[in-house]
Amino acid sequence: MLKSKTFVKKTRSGGVLKVVREHYLRDDIWCGSETCAECKQDSTVLQRDACMESSLCPYPHYLVPDTNVVLHQIDVLEDPVIRNVIILQTVLQEVRHRSATVYKRLKDIAHEPGRHFYTFTNEHHRETFIEREPGESANDRNDRAIRVAVKWYSQHLKTPGSDPDGLKVVLLTNDQGNKQKAEENGLLVYKFEEYIKSLIANPELVDRLALSNDDKQEITSSKVLFPEHLPLSKIQAGIKSGSFLQGTFRTSRYNYLEATVFVQGKGEDSTEVLIQGLQNLNRAVHHDVVAVELLPDNQWVAPSAVVLEDDGAAKDDAVDGDEEEKVLEPSATQAARQATGKVVGIIKRSWRPFCGMLNVSEIKESTRHLFTPADRRIPRIRIETRQASTLAGQRIMVAIDGWPKHSRYPNGHFVRSLGVAGEKDTEQEVLLLEHDVPHQDFSQAVLSFLPKMPWVITPEDLAKRQDLRHLTVCSVDPPGCTDIDDALHCRELENGNLEVGVHIADVSHFIRPGNALDKEAANRGTTVYLCGKRIDMVPELLSSNLCSLRSNVERFAFSCIWEMNQKAEILKTRFTKSVINSKASLTYAEAQMRIDDTNKNDDITQSLRGLNKLAKILKRKRIANGALTLSSVEVRFHMDSETHDPIDLQTKELMETNSMVEEFMLLANISVAQKIYDEFPECALLRKHPAPPPSNYDILIKAAKSKDVTIHTDSAKALADSLDGAKVDGFQYFNTLLRILATRCMMQAVYFCSGMDSDFHHYGLASPIYTHFTSPIRRYADIIVHRLLAVAIGADSTYADLMDKHKQSALCNNLNYRHKMSQYAQRASVAFHTQLFFKARGILNEEGFVLFVRKNAIIVLIPKFGLEGTVFFTSKNKVSPNLVFDEEGPTLRVEQHTFHIFDRVKVTISLDDSNIQHQKIRMALIKPVIPGVSVPAPEAEPPAKKQKLDR
Amino acid sequence: MATVQVSEAEKVYILHGIRDDLRVDGRGCEDYRHMEVETDVVSNTDGSAKVTLGHTAVLVGIKAEIGKPRPLIPNEGYLEFFVDCSANATPEFEGRGGEELGTELSNILYKVFNNEHSLDLRSLCISPGEHCWVLYVDVLLLQCDGNLYDAISIAIKAALFNTKIPRVHISSDDEGGKEIELSDDPYDCMRVDVENVPCIVTLCKIGHRHVVDATLQEKACSVASLIISVTHKGVITCTRKVGRGSLDPESICEMTEAGRRVGKALHSPLIKLLQQEESLGKKRQKVGFLG
Repeated sequence: MLKSKTFVKKTRSGGVLKVVREHYLRDDIWCGSETCAECKQDSTVLQRDACMESSLCPYPHYLVPDTNVVLHQIDVLEDPVIRNVIILQTVLQEVRHRSATVYKRLKDIAHEPGRHFYTFTNEHHRETFIEREPGESANDRNDRAIRVAVKWYSQHLKTPGSDPDGLKVVLLTNDQGNKQKAEENGLLVYKFEEYIKSLIANPELVDRLALSNDDKQEITSSKVLFPEHLPLSKIQAGIKSGSFLQGTFRTSRYNYLEATVFVQGKGEDSTEVLIQGLQNLNRAVHHDVVAVELLPDNQWVAPSAVVLEDDGAAKDDAVDGDEEEKVLEPSATQAARQATGKVVGIIKRSWRPFCGMLNVSEIKESTRHLFTPADRRIPRIRIETRQASTLAGQRIMVAIDGWPKHSRYPNGHFVRSLGVAGEKDTEQEVLLLEHDVPHQDFSQAVLSFLPKMPWVITPEDLAKRQDLRHLTVCSVDPPGCTDIDDALHCRELENGNLEVGVHIADVSHFIRPGNALDKEAANRGTTVYLCGKRIDMVPELLSSNLCSLRSNVERFAFSCIWEMNQKAEILKTRFTKSVINSKASLTYAEAQMRIDDTNKNDDITQSLRGLNKLAKILKRKRIANGALTLSSVEVRFHMDSETHDPIDLQTKELMETNSMVEEFMLLANISVAQKIYDEFPECALLRKHPAPPPSNYDILIKAAKSKDVTIHTDSAKALADSLDGAKVDGFQYFNTLLRILATRCMMQAVYFCSGMDSDFHHYGLASPIYTHFTSPIRRYADIIVHRLLAVAIGADSTYADLMDKHKQSALCNNLNYRHKMSQYAQRASVAFHTQLFFKARGILNEEGFVLFVRKNAIIVLIPKFGLEGTVFFTSKNKVSPNLVFDEEGPTLRVEQHTFHIFDRVKVTISLDDSNIQHQKIRMALIKPVIPGVSVPAPEAEPPAKKQKLDR
Repeated sequence: MATVQVSEAEKVYILHGIRDDLRVDGRGCEDYRHMEVETDVVSNTDGSAKVTLGHTAVLVGIKAEIGKPRPLIPNEGYLEFFVDCSANATPEFEGRGGEELGTELSNILYKVFNNEHSLDLRSLCISPGEHCWVLYVDVLLLQCDGNLYDAISIAIKAALFNTKIPRVHISSDDEGGKEIELSDDPYDCMRVDVENVPCIVTLCKIGHRHVVDATLQEKACSVASLIISVTHKGVITCTRKVGRGSLDPESICEMTEAGRRVGKALHSPLIKLLQQEESLGKKRQKVGFLG
């Protein structure tokens, strides 16, 4: 049967279009129930004895949620307890229209066979399709469609022979009007909360209920704390007229009463608007897209230099916001003032479930508690739960439901528990979730694209590749590395020149464009290395086996081969797909030993010596060009092999061989970048490192000046030279500290598509063009570069997306985001292991250097552990000492002592686990001694507190 | 125009018949052939109608689009006509064969319909000088068996009656920028007032008399015809002579009077029919093109 669906819509050019779609109704859509004898279905989804123990419905029943129930209560629906649910097409379509994420979650549930979720295409069913009536709104029609479908189901399942206690269909809705109409039609209908509360065996589900509107009111007092948000239409009009600005809201990491809104301007120019104070922040949450209104010029302020944490006890809504804000004294300097504004409306919320912990309410039996997210930039969330005692001490996830204007905190609901806080698995899960690192196991769809084992090299493969198996290729990597993506060789040619080859794992041979494996890798973007754990970008079979260039097995490679003279000048460059057979997988230390061991003269060692010699020349040239050598302290943990607890920690040692491998990788990357750019000027994927704006160097110059050292920052070369020359007698570590500071001044290097940008320069490497080619196993960018290069040399065919600069550019954005997040995750992982380490150690006394000076604190670096920590001079319950902060120095005078950058201090380090939510390393000053501020040095190292560990 | 070959003897026979008020198919001089009207036949138009008159069949579709008002009349919408003489109607239209006739027909349609006396063009205005509705009237000739003008005009009137223009309203912001907003209810639409829309009556001078709704054979006997558009009140809004021959003033007066009479009588049954059809709503059995 044919119907047509007609609707009018507005076109982009302002016209009005009438759209007519044919809509076919069918009589062969089955109900999906096991009990049904009428429908000629092959397999059924809904069970015969659909029993969920509910005090409201003691009989077997199927659930039919309406759209709003699905949208708001998806957390509950996801629980495995909820089974035998009929999802109507009407609901599914509406959900898809309203929220893509909820839609995906719903689809995922529906695909799980154990959940018995049946999608009923009621819109195409002859008996359940309804047409919109005159005067009926779209929502009313959908509600009616849902009711008609429920009615159909209840009649359909009521076969003549069935007993009165047989299967029933229950409609779940939170809409009063809908419920009433359904009751009039004689349907079984309950409010969602009612139903969930009636589930006998599962009281904990109640906690996950999102608060509906009428519940919210009772929670909060009537006092209005925040100004009303403007409706979207007004916001849009305001943005159009320029009276409001649209941007991404970013809460300050250090001060919860301060935020910036990043406004993307046309082209390059974008501005930041400062927002201060609860009222002006107006319920915006980190990462929301908001509309801001600029305050008049005379109310502009400077960002506060105070570090402020919202760590007081659960504040009552009655407490005025003003009290908290008193701390935000206006900064003295007029120059630092910047555009200040207030949030007038929210354009798009970016609420996701947040990880964190529960602050159990002090009132016993209370079901309302505050939840503190792990991310400091997210406000605390008020949730309702009856299992507070169980959840205390656990890491949990909570989703925000809304933030009424009379509530100090947003309201939310419990989603799931991640495990006991402080346990390694839990913490790892938390930091992966918080950094948005995709870490689920690879899906079957992805795994289906892996090559079948046993994998052999076929003669066809060989015919397309150059056979380099005879070459003495070897790989040099850190110890324990299983994903070896590069190998090298060097041999002398008959004409006295040297042939150097860099062989990179040919991942693009295994990952074909567009399939599920490729899409998954593109989404993950990078492999994430945490302490003791690796989250692979591609499945292990590829990363640790087929692609990994292990020794003495034949592997596919993408080779970059140069002919160089003894002065390391490139005479010829050649790229080819090849087959290699690595002769040795060495660690940096092993390679170094071979080079240094004069007794060894085998092929591998010869090759290594040749490489080392060339690398030194290359490095010298590069530095002469102005490449920067920056520094950051990297630490390695020695892990206990059984418990995987860190037992020792040491800073990474750099050997000649590290730099040897690095040098050739750089060379290969530059050669490839040039080649793909020549070939594809519009769509080459490159990597750039913009020069930092001069103001970034202010802190470095000021800091150096305090030690009478001048730093030139006009060019990379000048900077590199002045860093090399910066030395202070009797202060060996000074140079490293300066380099650490210089690193902080740098911009982030980013991937970009050559057709979308004009500035290609790589500042840090002093190279006019650069890309990533050498680690395709762990970076997706390299895979794209491999594909481009393969097309350029005619070894592979191209595909549409590869040549589309807009798609490339979108991909780059994702890669940059994933890359950044993986770095943060890595740092967080190191920080967590550092905490574990200090937990086992108790209190330590260490010497360190002042790295930064803030208004009420100094930041101290302990070189021995590569650890940075903050020494606060103000605290909530103590009288703060007399502090004078000078922004010019910058220096901070505490009572009589003045702190400068680079000052040598002595601190105690201990783990502060008084607040399990944020365990942190606490540092307190021992030397210089300032009465009332510094602490007495604890007697030497106290014995490692074993008992504490056991607990 | 489609023609048929008629022999002299046949012509005389037709001529003599008409002289005695008896036409070949048995009609009187002022009788129409059997006429069928069906509206809402093309779902992706805003209004449509199909009319068959004897073997003549025409289809009219109306699309409403937002456009800019004509500069001289900023507070009125307007109509656009296009007549497609498809080769379906007669093989003579093949290629560009129907173009001339199409232009001629659409020129007359402009004259007859596109003025504020036949249609309330002001109601088509959305915001003066900026936006108005433009009704694109597309006429498709499906079969030609004489008297195209009458059939087309009736089809246009029926299609206009059937036209549902989506209701829009203008929201303006502080800056004076105007935004057109569309109602989300597809049933919320504006109708066109067709009360004053005229119908065309074509009178063919045959011998000393004239006939309405001439067939192709009759047309072949005539040297000239007069096109008269008449409203339901009997007001003549437009007359035009077509054909090579000449008409004497006396017969013009006679023909005009006859046209007025016939035209006036045409309106009320048509409107009654259309209203009756609409009142059936969705229950109406659609006939369409195969019925």
